[in-house]
Amino acid sequence: MSTQPTEKLAVEMRGITKAWPGVVANDHVDLSVRAGEVHALVGENGAGKSTLMNILYGLVRANSGEIIVNGTPARINGPRDAISLGIGMVHQHFMLIPVFTVGENIMLGREPVAGPGLYDYGRARKEIADLTKRYGLDLDPDARTGDLPVGLQQRAEIVKVLYRGANILILDEPTGVLTPQETDELFVVLRGLVKEGKTIVFITHKLREVLAISDRITVMRRGKVVGHLTTKDTNEQEIATLMVGREVLLRVDKKPANPGAVTFRVENLTANSDRGVQALRGISFDLHKGEILGIAGVEGNGQSELVEVLAGTRRPTGGKVLLGDNDVTTADAREEREAGVGHIPEDRRGVGLVLNYSIADNLILGRERSALFSWRHLLLRLDAIRAWARRLVKEFDIRTPSIETQARALSGGNQQKIIVAREMASNPKVLLAAQPTRGVDIGAIEFIHRRLVAERDEGAAILLVSAELDEIRSLSDRIAVMYEGRIVSFEPADAPEERLGLLMTGGGGSGERTGAA
Amino acid sequence: MAASSATLGKTPGPRLPSGLRRVAGGFAVPVGSVAFAFIIGAVIVVVTGGDPFKAYAGLLCGGFGLACANGENSALQISTTIVFLTPLLMAGVAVALPFRAGLFNIGAEGQFLAGAVACTIIGVKFSSLPAPILLPMVLLGGMVAGAIWAGVPGVLKATVGAHEVVTTIMLNYVAQWLIRYLIVGGPLQLPHGFSASPPIGVGARLPSFLPNDNTLIIFGLPAGVYRVHTGLIIAIAALALFAVLLWRTALGYEIRAVGQSQKAARYAGINVSRTIIVTMVIAGAFAGLAGAIQIAGVDHNLTDKYFNDTTGFDAIAVALLGLGSAVGILFASILFGALHAGGSVMQADAGISSSLVQVLQALILFSIAANFLRVLRVRFPTFGRRPQAPAPETAGATLMTESAKAPPSEST
Amino acid sequence: MSFLTDIGHVLLTADLWRAALEAAVLLLLPALGGVISERSGVVNIAMEGMMLTGAFFAVVADLAWQNPWLGALIGILAGGLMALIHAVVSIRFRADQIVSGIAINIFAAGLTLFLVQRIYGLQDVGHVGQSSLLPYINIPLVDQIPFLGRVLFQQNVVVYAAIILLVLVQIVLFRTRLGLRIRAVGEHPQAADTAGINVYAIRYGAVITSGLLSGLAGAFLAIGISNTFVPNMTDGRGYIALAAMIFGKWRPLGAFVACLIFGLGQAIYDANSVIHVSQYLLSMLPYILTLVVLAGVVGRSIPPAADGLPYAPENE
Repeated sequence: MSTQPTEKLAVEMRGITKAWPGVVANDHVDLSVRAGEVHALVGENGAGKSTLMNILYGLVRANSGEIIVNGTPARINGPRDAISLGIGMVHQHFMLIPVFTVGENIMLGREPVAGPGLYDYGRARKEIADLTKRYGLDLDPDARTGDLPVGLQQRAEIVKVLYRGANILILDEPTGVLTPQETDELFVVLRGLVKEGKTIVFITHKLREVLAISDRITVMRRGKVVGHLTTKDTNEQEIATLMVGREVLLRVDKKPANPGAVTFRVENLTANSDRGVQALRGISFDLHKGEILGIAGVEGNGQSELVEVLAGTRRPTGGKVLLGDNDVTTADAREEREAGVGHIPEDRRGVGLVLNYSIADNLILGRERSALFSWRHLLLRLDAIRAWARRLVKEFDIRTPSIETQARALSGGNQQKIIVAREMASNPKVLLAAQPTRGVDIGAIEFIHRRLVAERDEGAAILLVSAELDEIRSLSDRIAVMYEGRIVSFEPADAPEERLGLLMTGGGGSGERTGAA
Repeated sequence: MAASSATLGKTPGPRLPSGLRRVAGGFAVPVGSVAFAFIIGAVIVVVTGGDPFKAYAGLLCGGFGLACANGENSALQISTTIVFLTPLLMAGVAVALPFRAGLFNIGAEGQFLAGAVACTIIGVKFSSLPAPILLPMVLLGGMVAGAIWAGVPGVLKATVGAHEVVTTIMLNYVAQWLIRYLIVGGPLQLPHGFSASPPIGVGARLPSFLPNDNTLIIFGLPAGVYRVHTGLIIAIAALALFAVLLWRTALGYEIRAVGQSQKAARYAGINVSRTIIVTMVIAGAFAGLAGAIQIAGVDHNLTDKYFNDTTGFDAIAVALLGLGSAVGILFASILFGALHAGGSVMQADAGISSSLVQVLQALILFSIAANFLRVLRVRFPTFGRRPQAPAPETAGATLMTESAKAPPSEST
Repeated sequence: MSFLTDIGHVLLTADLWRAALEAAVLLLLPALGGVISERSGVVNIAMEGMMLTGAFFAVVADLAWQNPWLGALIGILAGGLMALIHAVVSIRFRADQIVSGIAINIFAAGLTLFLVQRIYGLQDVGHVGQSSLLPYINIPLVDQIPFLGRVLFQQNVVVYAAIILLVLVQIVLFRTRLGLRIRAVGEHPQAADTAGINVYAIRYGAVITSGLLSGLAGAFLAIGISNTFVPNMTDGRGYIALAAMIFGKWRPLGAFVACLIFGLGQAIYDANSVIHVSQYLLSMLPYILTLVVLAGVVGRSIPPAADGLPYAPENE
């Protein structure tokens, strides 16, 4: 199934091994990419895909293994070597300097010379114009890079790679930041590049994209290659099974919901993103006691901003939020929490935890001034904190040597359990759960799912935001689909996946449906 | 990669009780840094034709009254060391506390001087007031002045994001020039005098431990020459207060949270801007108190020696060497107090300029900041097994600040 | 208002403006160094120490060889050597660049004092003879232009050099490949790295250059303006240069304007005999002005994005 000797290989990686302290990112990985193909490198987050490609681009040095580029063994000690071998990489986090113009970014490191040491911006601009025309990439070289939308920044990255004469292009999760429309445009560009004879390695964990764009597929799991596939001979299920390592059965046992009164009412909410663009364009819904409302949508359609506004960490620009009879529209994070809103944030390590704090300290984050844990907002009640921590560690099955262990030292699943424990233990009226199981192991996923349902059964109103459609469908009692800052439809929990997928990408729906029931 | 630390934490090996291990690990970096500094310092002495053993013997004698060759009085040397270390304790806190909030207070010097100025002005203007009124007034005045001097950078940081390093440096110089203005031809200069202010009132002075009575002989010298003063008690209390504030109060919890991760602090509902300002104000009060106590306890007036004062800069070294903890600050202050006291003995006994002390101090800073030891260990795997994963992060200059910046992205 | 009339009177003299330019250049050199270093992403608050070292070794060399050019060269190299320490500690060892900068300043103050005593004993360092000083050069013809000739063309050789360096640094930073790369490294080192630029080489070069420039300023101070070394003779000028760099928004020309303002203050200070305001209050001005700029009252001054952040490739 692997390589066919008749085909000319652009890249061959053999026995690549890379170990970080305590974790093997690549374990004897083999990869062969044929010239002129789109090769998809797929796997879950943390499977070792990016490490492998960083090795190919010279950003990471492998412990062992060999790399053959265009039939010649290659020594790649840094990006310079990779560039000279015709390898280019579009990184997941763009390598662009926001204050430079697009042209300056593109020519950086390979600037045309005008005089002694002087660069020739005019000539670079002309070369860029030639490139963009040739590949149909519309781009203004004089724009300030930081002002461009993400899709255009990515385009600048691609042009940057082409400008360096790359024949082998590595794209690391290129669609993660794109809207569906931008993704389509990207695919058109990629097909054009292949037609021009370029070879493309495409890292992703999105199966539909794999099937849509690739010729062949290498699947990785936990640092190892677990399969080489040919796209036209495979299907989503086979890839998914290889990726995850077993049949994914996200079945959650739960009783039918028994929704009560409206706990949380959101009316015509608007807010801006960090970049000052309108991210919420009038969101309205009611959240009932004892139900889970799932928010489905492609990431970047305003879900993050919605949760942040409701949690009090982002200011809304308009609209209203009512918790019971309380107007909490402009409440800050502390006021929201005190009013009974729990929040499991999507960025576990950066936001939800203080990684260098002990587990005990993390379990009181945000409540350090409550009467339970401090005397007159002043002195901490250390005994109460310890007792509390011991209780939650037990109750939420947080696997740790001690409550004094730093959160940093725990696995992702146990870190997430700290947050879940903290946010649930205060018996919130409303629980905002954003990507609650992202990047955690299967055991922790099941545990967190059970707890969410239990919390619902005890009468909490839960807003679940997840990029995993399966998770939304198996946990929610109702589903709201978000697209471009709006809720485009409310769907029942058993809505077919195809319909949800269509709605999420801006198709299908006849605008807003039944609305807030 | 996130999983790596979990496995590392359970490195097999001798299972010391975790507390003991942490203490041992915590001391390795500072002790190593001091050793490094003394070795390089010895090299410098040798290269310039001096005898490092004689030099360090002088330091030891001057600092701790040990191994004195020329009949120096041990008790007097120790007394001098204590006088030197007293302000360092408080100024060290003034640097260490903002460290915990992720702020680098280079301005302890300016805050110290502001405190000294305020103490002098109040002590001179109200010199006739009795001690129970005047003494609290001068100390409080010093604290308020220091708090203002640090509050300005705090507010600028919290509101417009001006980097506190730059603003505090600027304010250091403003304070220095202010003192020159005041006592050289300015309103605080003694009439017909040198560059000095009038002495503060008797009621503004902190009592010495020993009576200023030259008939009373203690350890072979009249009691009056020992200048150890009750400011030491205040300084130790301040240090204890710092420890309590940091580890036992909700505010301390929040200060540390802000230093570790502003995002997490915001998520928790902590008002980051307010915490930054409060931290700086408290820190400035500590430094200002140090300045006030230096006037009230030792000098009793502002003199031109304050033009070249380095207490606030020494405090940076103290806070870094002490890894920002109260116990560490205590030990580091003792070291630097002893170095300062020892410098003059070294100069007299060994003929080595007391400025070697500054060289040593700089070398300690380099070593702590660069964490040479850690790098050595990484480069030569046999040098010693890497301890717990978090250990490197607790040391060095990034020590208590946002150390989470570095790790590469979580995916793969 | 006698103060204002005094100022007005002094401002009309060419000597004042000549002194202002000279004082400005003394600040400009380290400020240019700071701009280069920070543009590459290495915070440099150590210009003070580098200047002081440069001043000391320039005097030592000049006294030994009676040659101001050799003295200046040694001073420049000494500044560069100090910068090399800063570079190694903050780039190779990824130390906190502020701590390293403070350490350099303390180290320079301690070491020069220590060496003064080791080399010269308890006596004075001694004075450099008039013939061994960096010369003042009158440029023929143009130096006879009324007022301007005195201000611009009867200056020390270092002043002319500094003006040339100013233009050079401005061009290099904003018109050359090297400059583009320096700025890229200071804004986003990883992006520069992936573009095939050697981040470390750029940073080492930039930091060392800042030391060379500061060393030249020290030499100018010790064997140009003055004729001896006294302990701590830089007296905060390295920090004023830092202020000028920020004031000038990390741009060479901007820093020069700030240096001129500060230099004018210094010149007025020196002409104190006719002004009835405390020189010490005037001395605060650069610092207070910088605070005002930082407060955003006169437009924000934003440092390079990666200024102060050590660069660690993912590999290690």
